[in-house]
Amino acid sequence: MIPQAVEAAVSRVVSPDELRLALESTIPAAEREEVLELVRWFTTRYASGEARLAYVRQAVAQWQRAHATRGRG
Amino acid sequence: MEASHFDERSFFSAVHASGVRALLIGRRALVLLGLPLLTADYDYWIAIDDIERFNTLAAAFQLHPTRTAADARRHGRYVLENDEHVDVLVARSLPTLHGSPVDFEGLWTRRHTIDVGTVPVCIPSLDDLILTKQIASRPKDLEDVRLLRILKESPR
Repeated sequence: MIPQAVEAAVSRVVSPDELRLALESTIPAAEREEVLELVRWFTTRYASGEARLAYVRQAVAQWQRAHATRGRG
Repeated sequence: MEASHFDERSFFSAVHASGVRALLIGRRALVLLGLPLLTADYDYWIAIDDIERFNTLAAAFQLHPTRTAADARRHGRYVLENDEHVDVLVARSLPTLHGSPVDFEGLWTRRHTIDVGTVPVCIPSLDDLILTKQIASRPKDLEDVRLLRILKESPR
């Protein structure tokens, strides 16, 4: 279960300034390259849309199993 | 909660075969575009006139609506759920945090399709995905906006 404080932090609505920054700020070259490298890895390893979605379902299921186990322990 | 054996490809196939105007939005759309993100839910934005047909096809997957179609039209959104969770927007238009309207009809007109197996799945254009992220405007939506900007601004 996600603690309430964490839930509140991730669910809050950002400020207009935060949104403006996300839309307009210059994205550093290093961040851009890191993201594109991840995209290259992901689309090479999982070349089709179906494979990418299947990977996500599997990864989420693993995460949920791990957290359910911890919750019981 | 009712357990299901959800077959994602069959669900997409049923959506396509139904003729429902349904856009896959949210992080699953970003995953289709090649961004490695985790998400447990499905997010759709469908035409307001297609709620009943969408619910009918979802019923075959034991997905049950949290609101009647009439109630969903009033609220602009509802959820289909069992052990899967499908958030469904049905509003004709929703405002961004800055107050700009995002219209379903415009998104639908500019939609792209990506094949999942042999099934075409409709998603908004990159610019429109960035707009949809500005509706909820949570911190994770801003992270997604930056990722989408990088995709948009990079030669593919």
